[in-house]
Amino acid sequence: MTWQTAAWLLLGGSTALMFLGLPVAFAFLAINLIGAAIFLGGDAGMMQLARNSVQSVTSFALTPIPLFILMGEVLFHTGLAVKVIDGVERLIRDVPGRLAVIAVVAGTVFSAISGSTIATTAMLGSLMLPVMLARGYHPTIATGPIMAIGAVDMLIPPSALTVLLGSLSGISISKLLVGGIVPGLILSAIFIAYIVMRVRYEPALAPKTDFDEYHGWRRFQPFFQYVLPLVSIFVVVVGAMIVGWATPTECAALGAFATIVLAFLYRSLSIKNLIQSLRGTAGISGMILFIIVGATTFSQILSFSGASNGLAQLLTGMGLPPLAVIAGMMLLLIFLGVFVEQVSMMMITLPIFMPVVQQMGVDLVWFGVMFLICMQLGLLMPPHGLLLMTMKGVAPPQVTMLHIFRAVMPFLLISIVVLVLVFFAPGVATWLPNLIG
Amino acid sequence: MQQRISEQCAEQYGRFLAGLSLAGCAVLLLTMLVICADVFLRNVRIVPGLLGVPWANEVTEYALYLITMLTAPWLLRQGQHIRIDVLLRAIPRRLAWYCEWAVDLIALACCVTIAFYGVKAVLSSHAIDGMVVKVLSIPEWWLLAPLPVAFMLLAIEILFRMQRLHAAVRGPRTDAVSAA
Repeated sequence: MTWQTAAWLLLGGSTALMFLGLPVAFAFLAINLIGAAIFLGGDAGMMQLARNSVQSVTSFALTPIPLFILMGEVLFHTGLAVKVIDGVERLIRDVPGRLAVIAVVAGTVFSAISGSTIATTAMLGSLMLPVMLARGYHPTIATGPIMAIGAVDMLIPPSALTVLLGSLSGISISKLLVGGIVPGLILSAIFIAYIVMRVRYEPALAPKTDFDEYHGWRRFQPFFQYVLPLVSIFVVVVGAMIVGWATPTECAALGAFATIVLAFLYRSLSIKNLIQSLRGTAGISGMILFIIVGATTFSQILSFSGASNGLAQLLTGMGLPPLAVIAGMMLLLIFLGVFVEQVSMMMITLPIFMPVVQQMGVDLVWFGVMFLICMQLGLLMPPHGLLLMTMKGVAPPQVTMLHIFRAVMPFLLISIVVLVLVFFAPGVATWLPNLIG
Repeated sequence: MQQRISEQCAEQYGRFLAGLSLAGCAVLLLTMLVICADVFLRNVRIVPGLLGVPWANEVTEYALYLITMLTAPWLLRQGQHIRIDVLLRAIPRRLAWYCEWAVDLIALACCVTIAFYGVKAVLSSHAIDGMVVKVLSIPEWWLLAPLPVAFMLLAIEILFRMQRLHAAVRGPRTDAVSAA
């Protein structure tokens, strides 16, 4: 069988099954069975497929995924997240669109202690959205910043999806996690600037409202009592990774443990909310890991059939400059983001992209950070972006899907601008990881 | 009468799957504690001669696999295995319902086939006394065994899904369509 036929069968077959509505993990498994029968030698290949499925998830590199998600789930279910918002709210004085700005700042702080984009968006959406709407904020200015900052959560460590990207692509997980910090903070800063300018230009979007202004110690008390200790978890998790004291897995375990201990010390932890947090974590990570069971063998069969190599040679043999190839890859990722969710995006593209990227000799961390920004765009992309659905799930009924689509557009454009910035100025992504050597 | 019995069976099976997912949660919590104990004992020498937990990394890997297998059937019951439903929403509802049947049949065939070859892999490993030797030495078939069990449980759940599909309004399901 030629590599072209193999590519059509494996890539085309899995895509067709996915669009038929077969769960992503099962689509990979179904094509794996056909691939194993053809390319791995029938019966023996099928048994090897069972062995590969076991090996795919017995991987130490994947362990941070549930642990980072657990951090976010614990903060969400124990109500500690509310204290973070309160701590940030008291610090921010009167600015145009104050509550939306608070959502972005609190979301950025929360991103640094949560590894789950859903937890961040659901938390901010359920807590801040009703307040903003009650104070006369237009649904577009109330929902947009929350969804956008939920997506930034993916760039700022800890982040479960970043660990998965590092593990699947072979890019250093520590460097990739650290590489997301600067672009994430730039995005947050531009979001704030946009909100302030937009509301100054169109004040009806976010009417000026009275708020309790605290003075002296009362203003800073929740910041020192809750925000600082919780953010110190981020410092410990990322710091220990940067100086090489612990692996990402160990940092994730320590971070999750510290979050549970803090929740206990704040008397917010109960058996009920701990089980809720563990269940939420098991749900999200179990789903991601089960896709990996199917997708890892899929990449192996794709490679064994010659399709990966054939496609890589086709791309590199076109004589295009490396930057044009990378730009094409990013455009393809953005396009895929419209239809396909993040884990599948990685599983479908990485087996083909990585050999090409390695052959071209480009900086892998730079490529990885741009890949992350494209996935972040996918989280916000109508009509299927996960965070749009999460927002609709927690928003009051008067917020329509059309409001949500309109609300997210400016933030999508800003994210594309930052993607272009990283593309032309790689230092934005690579400066901090290069510092850690 | 027959319908009530099958509904009760489905409910009991759902409880069993939820119990398995709780076991997965316990494994997750234990994994976190083992890694923390390893880091702590490696850096703080409170027990003379004990430098961390040497088997921590290995057990963590196995735990991740166990969590996956313990939660997969429960996630199917919850409709949390993500899928792309853009096409199913675009085509007529009745056609989408037939697509759901096709999808269930493909998934069922997959699960039964993988369970079958999983059992074959377990038996062949057991026959040759295959061992996985890292820090710990364990028979390979111990590692392989949860896979066919999980896929068998998935196959049974797919049968219940088909039953629910048969009884439901003709149209696409409302399963999860995105991931974290």
